[in-house]
Amino acid sequence: MVSHVLPLASIQPVVLLAADSLQSYAPVALVVVMVIGFCAINIIASMLIGPSTEGTVKAIAYESGMNPWDSARKRFNVRFYIMAMTFLVFDVEIIFLYPWAVAFADLEPGSAEAKLYLARMAFFVGTSVVAYIYAWKKGVFRWD
Amino acid sequence: MTLSPITSMLPGTMLASSDVPAATIAPEFAWLGWALALPAISALACTLMALCKVKGKLPGWLTVASLGTCFVLILKAYQSMPEGPIVVPLAEWMSFSWGPSDFHSLQAALELYIDRLTIFWMLFVSGLGTLIALYATEYMEHDVKAGYARFFAGVSIFLFAMTALVMGGNLLLLYLGWEGVGLASYMLIGYFFTRPSAVAAAKKAFIVNRIGDLGLALGIFLTWRCYGTIEYSELFQIAGNPPRDGPWEEALIPYLLMLGAFGKSAQGPLYVWLPDAMEGPTPVSALIHAATMVTAGVFLIARCYPLFLLQPDALTVVAWIGGLTAFWAATIGMAQYDMKRVWAYSTISQLGYMFLGLGLGTTFGACFHTFTHAFFKACLFLTAGAVMHGFAGQLDIRKLSGLSKIPGFRMVSWFALLGALWLAAFPFSAAFFSKDEILSAGVGSDRADFQFLGWLGLFTAGLTAYYTFRVWFRAFAGPVHFEPGEEVHAHGEFHPHSPRWAMKLSIAIIGIGAVLAGYPAYEAMFLHKENWVQWMMAGSTAVGGAGVVEQAADHAAEASSGHQVLGMSAHAATSVAGSIFGIGGILIALYLHLIRRSAADSLRRAIQATPLIGWIPGAAENKWYVDEIYNAVFCVPLWVTGHVLHFIDKHILDAGVVDGIGSSPSLVGRVFRPLYGGVLQSYAVTMAGGVGLILAWLAYTWLRGGF
Amino acid sequence: MTMLAPITLASSMADRVGLLWPELLLLIAAMVVALMGLSKDRTIRGAVGPVSILAVLASGVLALVTGGAEAAAAAGVPFPALAQWLKPMVALIAAGLMAVQGGFVDQALEAAIGRNAAAFNPLRAIRGEFHAFALFSIAGVMLLTTATDLIWLFLALELVSLPTYVMVAIGRSDRPGLEAAVKYFFLGAMATAVMLMGFALLYGATGSLQFDLIRNAFGAQAASGGIALLGVGGLMLTAIGLFFKITAVPMHFYAPDVYEGAPLPVTAVLSFIPKVAGFVGLILVLGTAGLTSGELPKPIIALLWMAAILTMSLGNMGALLQHSMKRTMAYSSIAHSGYMLVALAAGTTDALDALLFYLFAYGVTTVATFGGLAVIQRAGGDADRFEDLAGLRRTNPWATSMIVLGALSFTGIPPLLGFFGKFWILTSAFEAGQVALCIFLVVNSLVSARYYLRFMATPVIAEPDSNATPTERNPSRAPVLASVVFGLALLILPCFTGSIFGWVQQATDAPAKAQ
Repeated sequence: MVSHVLPLASIQPVVLLAADSLQSYAPVALVVVMVIGFCAINIIASMLIGPSTEGTVKAIAYESGMNPWDSARKRFNVRFYIMAMTFLVFDVEIIFLYPWAVAFADLEPGSAEAKLYLARMAFFVGTSVVAYIYAWKKGVFRWD
Repeated sequence: MTLSPITSMLPGTMLASSDVPAATIAPEFAWLGWALALPAISALACTLMALCKVKGKLPGWLTVASLGTCFVLILKAYQSMPEGPIVVPLAEWMSFSWGPSDFHSLQAALELYIDRLTIFWMLFVSGLGTLIALYATEYMEHDVKAGYARFFAGVSIFLFAMTALVMGGNLLLLYLGWEGVGLASYMLIGYFFTRPSAVAAAKKAFIVNRIGDLGLALGIFLTWRCYGTIEYSELFQIAGNPPRDGPWEEALIPYLLMLGAFGKSAQGPLYVWLPDAMEGPTPVSALIHAATMVTAGVFLIARCYPLFLLQPDALTVVAWIGGLTAFWAATIGMAQYDMKRVWAYSTISQLGYMFLGLGLGTTFGACFHTFTHAFFKACLFLTAGAVMHGFAGQLDIRKLSGLSKIPGFRMVSWFALLGALWLAAFPFSAAFFSKDEILSAGVGSDRADFQFLGWLGLFTAGLTAYYTFRVWFRAFAGPVHFEPGEEVHAHGEFHPHSPRWAMKLSIAIIGIGAVLAGYPAYEAMFLHKENWVQWMMAGSTAVGGAGVVEQAADHAAEASSGHQVLGMSAHAATSVAGSIFGIGGILIALYLHLIRRSAADSLRRAIQATPLIGWIPGAAENKWYVDEIYNAVFCVPLWVTGHVLHFIDKHILDAGVVDGIGSSPSLVGRVFRPLYGGVLQSYAVTMAGGVGLILAWLAYTWLRGGF
Repeated sequence: MTMLAPITLASSMADRVGLLWPELLLLIAAMVVALMGLSKDRTIRGAVGPVSILAVLASGVLALVTGGAEAAAAAGVPFPALAQWLKPMVALIAAGLMAVQGGFVDQALEAAIGRNAAAFNPLRAIRGEFHAFALFSIAGVMLLTTATDLIWLFLALELVSLPTYVMVAIGRSDRPGLEAAVKYFFLGAMATAVMLMGFALLYGATGSLQFDLIRNAFGAQAASGGIALLGVGGLMLTAIGLFFKITAVPMHFYAPDVYEGAPLPVTAVLSFIPKVAGFVGLILVLGTAGLTSGELPKPIIALLWMAAILTMSLGNMGALLQHSMKRTMAYSSIAHSGYMLVALAAGTTDALDALLFYLFAYGVTTVATFGGLAVIQRAGGDADRFEDLAGLRRTNPWATSMIVLGALSFTGIPPLLGFFGKFWILTSAFEAGQVALCIFLVVNSLVSARYYLRFMATPVIAEPDSNATPTERNPSRAPVLASVVFGLALLILPCFTGSIFGWVQQATDAPAKAQ
């Protein structure tokens, strides 16, 4: 174990931009220019190159292949939201699992450090399990 | 006899400071906390019983038991206590702080400060308390279905507060007890709350005491301000070693404490409440308004004597007030017809002697007199109570005569005689020695004003003997004759009903106690031992420590050889003069009120017929019109001011200013109300606007040249 | 980059876990409670409240036992001993606040189930979630005390705030409750944005997110001609963002609406928990710029000064006009923030101690008062008009006495705890030379007496209107019990202020020296 304390903030991107020099903002400016340029070129290019037809089919909203009918501003069944949120919770967990998995591979197998890492992730996943049980009990998965 | 004059060293050769030994912490004495707890428990229990309307004598017996146990505890402490003062911590109580230094904190633990003075005081407080409570179990029996439990709750509260006052380890506990005894006194004076005079007397006692209590409170504040502590153990060490450049307010402390003492002990201008306090039941008069509570002022000064020694002039003031009050009250006592009132004025007068003693520097004399007075005055009051109990409230000495010849009242009469002899300081009675101790300190003093006070005291002793025996010869001797008082409820012929065992036993024990109270003096006189009371004072704050005692002994030796009064030592002179005045007073009373009662009336008529002094008997009977003068000087102007202020308050302040100011917040509120419309967007905009304003202001200051 | 850096970091985090046992306990308790609330067994559901209270108390004890100031100092916590005062203190008062919830959440539902008039429907029952969120919020406050950098600070603050949004929303399912929740959420998000902008500027000005490094950077800047505009702006925006949590001007607008819309017990939570979080945040952030050494940049002092005066005055003036008790309490809580800002503006260690003590006194008083108010209900919710209190003296003398005690303590009447809070702030501000603020504080206290008097007078003097529908009695005894315990504490604790002051003073002792 390393004894000295390394600040959390040191994982912050490294180069500290000195606030007094405008030059150091040049990369940001470049990105801004590129973004605007990319969008503009795309729109202009499609206007110039693509075929141009008008009609109801084109005007309707794109709904992942479904045919939209009725107003979009109507109330959806709340279960859609609950489902979506539950999905999001587990989805976001992956984001935490992934870097852990990458770092864990480099640890010496069977070492105390590795066990500690495993235990932590187990605790984290455990909280997700609790969340899952909670959602189940709450009746989120029931659709009647 | 090494008794007399600590006095002679007083102003001139005064020690710079007292030298109270440092207190040791003694948690092993924690059981003494029960002396505080028992009356409190009994008070709570009696209150509960009063609320539950318990019918029976249980509250009385409970109080007697708890007070008796309390007395036993004090006896045990008396036997086992060490030489020097001890501090017994019981619990944490007040501990405030708002900064680093002593002057930024206030510590007042729930703790006891026990030295011999404490034990001495507690011995007679708890002992007399027990006996008088026993007496009251019978005396109050006609109230068993009404206020019996309430009465004993009051007595228990009183004993609790008095214990806190005497045993408390700091001035705050003393103040708590001080207010507590005031509350108990108020409750018990107004015990017969359906009687307007009782209610008025209770209020009067409370209000007059407030003036004194204000002084005490200010004194405690100033003590803390000047010395940074109100714990006795620290305070007396600081007072023994006073800071060089103390603030000027330091000089005020003893005067303020004195004011408190004068209020509680009915001295000087603040005495007027005590005679009216006789409206309370007689055991209350005996216990609170004669034997114990009114001596709290003496205790306060004895306890804080180190602070008084720092200001010698303050003690002179105490002496003057005490001496003059003694004389003043005696003159009024000569002209009263109500037995209890005479005893009340004699109490004021005797308390005056105690303060005179304190002021003259003989705390021993003052405390000895407190001790003897507690017994004989309680005895007198209890006998008066027996008479009142037996004759349906009759106490007028013009309507009672020859009681000693009525069966059932013989014992009462003889104990009344004993009390009267003691009060008159008949030679070789206990009070004779204790009063002598005080007066010889005055007569033998080097200072002319103290000598005057001493002689005035001797003259007052003559007056005392006269009015005491005026009462006894009128009421208890002579031909049998009585008229019942107002409280007659039986029809037909009136029969006085004599006291039963509880009252008689209490009277007997207290009477014997009054005799025994002289024992320390006999012992000192005949066995040449140290007076027990003096021994109890040594090493306590009352004397100010061993240093002063040694000095006193030196001075005593000096005095016996040096200072001569009328060709005798001061002490002998006082004894002889005191005897002459005392016996003279008794003889005059004997002639005027027993042998030829008509002579008294003709003398009175003769005085009234004389042009220049004709007003005196009437004025004395009307208490020199002090109450009327107070009414005119204080009450009427206050009443007028009150009404003027009420008018201003109602028609100018309320109508104009308050309503004006009162409407301004709502005006302001109306200005801001649009901002609180309840619309989310407008809130967001307003908040963002606030942030924007602040940022704009920041930018503005920065542009103007930074911060 | 090798893998070394993150591993090192993680190991250092492991050291800090030792400081977080109370929070971990609360986290686990929150999960347990959330599941218990969904149980089909009525007794298990009924145990949710007691278990939460026990968990909070246990976390306080745990904080007392484990909280090592040395470990915190080694971890770079700016005020290493702060947690030792704040965690038990917050736990104690939070336990009281949890008890005040008794008889409100799900009460109608449970009563219906008890009568066999309804079946248990997990989607409708919110008791578990409600308590779990409260526990999360409390854990957030505790987490805050050991924050070492801005990110920790931010996460902890959000952990405090987000659950309170939800509690407002689910505590009452009617329109005003939802309206209040929406307002609270959106305005809170806005305030958070302002605060984050401040964080960004702080990072820009100092190049670090860590408190000790920020302090070093500010120290260096101050030594060479003052903290730069960017840094001052950052501090200012952060402070303003935090003002939302403490309901200080200009971020106080939401308070009356939200406090009124929330159920009464949640109002009690809102007036204490976020306030502690906000003040701890302010102490930590402003501590980097020399709060305790009196070296704050002048604009920050001016901001605190103005905010203190405006917050006190607007709070008290607003409270005078209200008819709703919760709304009055909202304005009163704004005013109390103003008093505490006085201590912050005074900016001495002593003043900081006074502030920390005031939070405690304020919390105890809040529990006593709200617990007393929670004994009456209307239709299973709270009774909110002053008139509802009329005649309470007869129906519930205990609650009445505690409301009176609480109102007296809020006013700052001497023997009570609230007096000592105000007194300490006054003396410390006076010694720091802020005489004007002291005068404002005293005058405002006087004004506040007027509306606190209504809390005292209505239950004691007023007679209930015979035409109005009478209020119901809260079926749970927990609120009145909490009220009595904390109300008596208002009377008893003043005798121990010496020891409490000593404890508080340790909390700000020895701020970690700049490494």
